[in-house]
Amino acid sequence: MGDNQEALAMITDQAGRLLEDAVTPQRLKSLLQKPGSFDRDLWLQTVGLGWAGAAVPEEAGGFGLGWEVLCALAGHLGAVTASLPLIQNTVLVDALAQADCGYSAVIEQLVSGEAIATLALFDQGDNGISDTPQLVYGSSGLNGVTAVAPFAAVAGFALVHALREDQSQPALLLVALDQKGVKRDLRNCIDNARGAAALDFANATATPVAVGDGASSLLMRVAARAVIATAFEQVGGAGSCLQSACDYARERKVFGQPIGAFQGIKHKLADIYADIEIARGCALDALAALESNPRAALAYAAAARVTAITAYEHAARENIQVHGGIGVTWESAEHHYYRRSRSLALELGAAPYWRDVLVDHVELLAEGY
Amino acid sequence: MSQNDTRAYLASARAWLAEQAPAYSGAARRGLSVEEDLALGRRWLHLKSEHGYAAITMPKIYGGGGGTEIEKVIFTNEENNYDLPTGYFGISLGMPVPMLLKYASEEVLRELVPPAIRGEQIWCQLFSEPAAGSDLAALTMRATPDGDGWRLNGQKLWTSWAQYSDWGVVVVRTDPTVPKHAGLTYFYVDMKSPGVEVRVIPKLAGESEINEVFFNDVFVPDAQRMGGVGGGFKVAMETLMIERYAVSDEAVGGISVEKFVDLAMRTRINGQPALADGEVRRLIADTVAERQGLRSIHRRAMAAIAAGTEPGPEGAIRKLLGARRRQQVSAVAMDLLGVDGVIMTEGAQPTEDFTESWIESPPLRIAGGSDEILRNTIAEKVLGLPQDHRPDKGIPFNKLS
Ligand SMILES: Cc1cc2nc3c(=O)[nH]c(=O)nc-3n(C[C@H](O)[C@H](O)[C@H](O)COP(=O)(O)OP(=O)(O)OC[C@H]3O[C@@H](n4cnc5c(N)ncnc54)[C@H](O)[C@@H]3O)c2cc1C
Repeated sequence: MGDNQEALAMITDQAGRLLEDAVTPQRLKSLLQKPGSFDRDLWLQTVGLGWAGAAVPEEAGGFGLGWEVLCALAGHLGAVTASLPLIQNTVLVDALAQADCGYSAVIEQLVSGEAIATLALFDQGDNGISDTPQLVYGSSGLNGVTAVAPFAAVAGFALVHALREDQSQPALLLVALDQKGVKRDLRNCIDNARGAAALDFANATATPVAVGDGASSLLMRVAARAVIATAFEQVGGAGSCLQSACDYARERKVFGQPIGAFQGIKHKLADIYADIEIARGCALDALAALESNPRAALAYAAAARVTAITAYEHAARENIQVHGGIGVTWESAEHHYYRRSRSLALELGAAPYWRDVLVDHVELLAEGY
Repeated sequence: MSQNDTRAYLASARAWLAEQAPAYSGAARRGLSVEEDLALGRRWLHLKSEHGYAAITMPKIYGGGGGTEIEKVIFTNEENNYDLPTGYFGISLGMPVPMLLKYASEEVLRELVPPAIRGEQIWCQLFSEPAAGSDLAALTMRATPDGDGWRLNGQKLWTSWAQYSDWGVVVVRTDPTVPKHAGLTYFYVDMKSPGVEVRVIPKLAGESEINEVFFNDVFVPDAQRMGGVGGGFKVAMETLMIERYAVSDEAVGGISVEKFVDLAMRTRINGQPALADGEVRRLIADTVAERQGLRSIHRRAMAAIAAGTEPGPEGAIRKLLGARRRQQVSAVAMDLLGVDGVIMTEGAQPTEDFTESWIESPPLRIAGGSDEILRNTIAEKVLGLPQDHRPDKGIPFNKLS
């Protein structure tokens, strides 16, 4: 095992234990009850352990453990439905480093976890990434309203997709959110633990990170990386649903036997297992492609996204079903996953959009067996 | 009933609803608290009872419509076009009260049925328990003889609308020394009796109708027994089947496919109109075609009822398909709404709001027979396949592990 592998094993082991203890159902329920909730205590605790910078290259001030550690941590978060902006912070650091024009102060805050990032890449009404953003960045600054974005309620910085007026081209902008021109609109959502808010900009100060073609390619890089890490979060959540359903199927007796003895239940759970393993396979391949085949990363990401959405939603929905009446109560934890599965299925663009992306790039996946 | 008669009935029901229903539905309900909505529902039921539209098949002397099954089906179909506060009374007038008509004395009927039909009182159905849902006969709540009645002890679970109920029908174990189905007895019980305690169970989302109900030495006179001692399971099954034909709305309380099509017309996927997307078109096609099949089944059932014969068994697929369909269509609708599909709108109804329709769909696949139990019923009762292995068959209840 190399140093990196050891460090990776250590941090993910620790993550599993910490999250198991810290993320109680009661804590999650209290977060679900209020719009824009965020578990700041957990964030500070994990920031203290270096999670925010774990994946970031050493030259940018991180631990240099790579996307692999981010994906592993995302899997652990997903397994307990904890919400932390690890993916957002890491992806924004990557985007700023790509642009390479001196955002070192912002990067430092994101790597240390002092600041939180949000990827506010969607307009209201968008279900996928648009070529024609509605927000406008011009001489008076940034104007317009984004769709709700996770962690926007608490973030210090946002990556925003807007039309740059003077050049009539899309741009990716870095926006510091603690300024007069920014309003955070907290909405009651199916999953309030995501710290979500819509961002309402009125002549806000912003800095272009990339413009035109550069913006489009950086945007897809950001999206692909966020999607891949999120796929691990989804697979983690789906795995917990399957485990919970199997545990209950072994223990709940109906008609004199465990419900797991009925083929109606067995086949249901086996089908979920198959979905999860397909999603895991796609996610692992997508992660590997970031290094080995970056040209095709978007196609791999799309495959990871559609399979992860399917697997998590299938598992979360049927886990409730297997639990019968208990599963539809507020008190049970099963609906945390049901909510999270749908929330994650929408946040980075919905399945119909990503299926389209996958088909548009299908030739990139033709080889590689 | 002749075709002309049914047509005339439909026309007058439709006209009456067009005139009366708007004041009790849709906008009239927006922003109401549950208590206010329930009060509106009681007024609606009262109004219907004055015009023969409440409990249409029940005798007029008790406030019913004195009409036929087909009239009830026709009226309910039409009524479902409005978003009326009728849900509180669905179980009450659907099962317990019709059972009372079969089992109670004239004197009891005159006292208890009219207030139920007018919506002044509500009846609930206390069957399920923590360890007895799909397997009703596994219930453990006890009744022991006491003078000219019984003492009830134990717990019921998932009882819909118990928090507003005045009366309930209950199945309890009177003899644990015989096999599980044989030791049950059926009563009706005053929910205001000393020792009855009702606690609402919050649902994963939305207003909750479900409760746990504790019975602590509750006295029930033997005169309130329905059926024989030990005959409770049969009466319970009769209860579940007494609604000859339950008319449920086509979208199972969620968004209609027309609303979905409308959404697909005004949203885009990757820059293209969503309505042009192959997958969206397939979902619409499948949903509409399935509904068409169900409409045919429904129409044939109506014809059978009108002719005084039994509807076919194919009606049993309606709830199984409908509940899953609602969950699926609502989720895809949220996909089209996009990232903002996660937003919940205060006071939105599942018939109008895609997100609400989605988040409130899981209970539908469990209540009133889970998907899996419905499939078993179809396989065993309709297709004649053998029953699952039942290890507890024939064993005295108190000898089961
Ligand atoms: C909203 C709501 C309202 C309700 N209202 C009432 C009411 O008013 N009165 C009342 O008495 N009850 C009511 N119920 C209870 C309802 O009837 C039960 O929840 C239902 O019968 C399932 O029982 P259970 O919850 O114990 O689940 P279980 O019976 O424990 O089932 C658990 C899982 O096992 C599956 N399963 C069970 N048997 C088999 C089998 N043979 N093969 C394959 N799978 C199987 C089930 O489908 C389910 O997925 C209500 C429930 C809900 C959710």
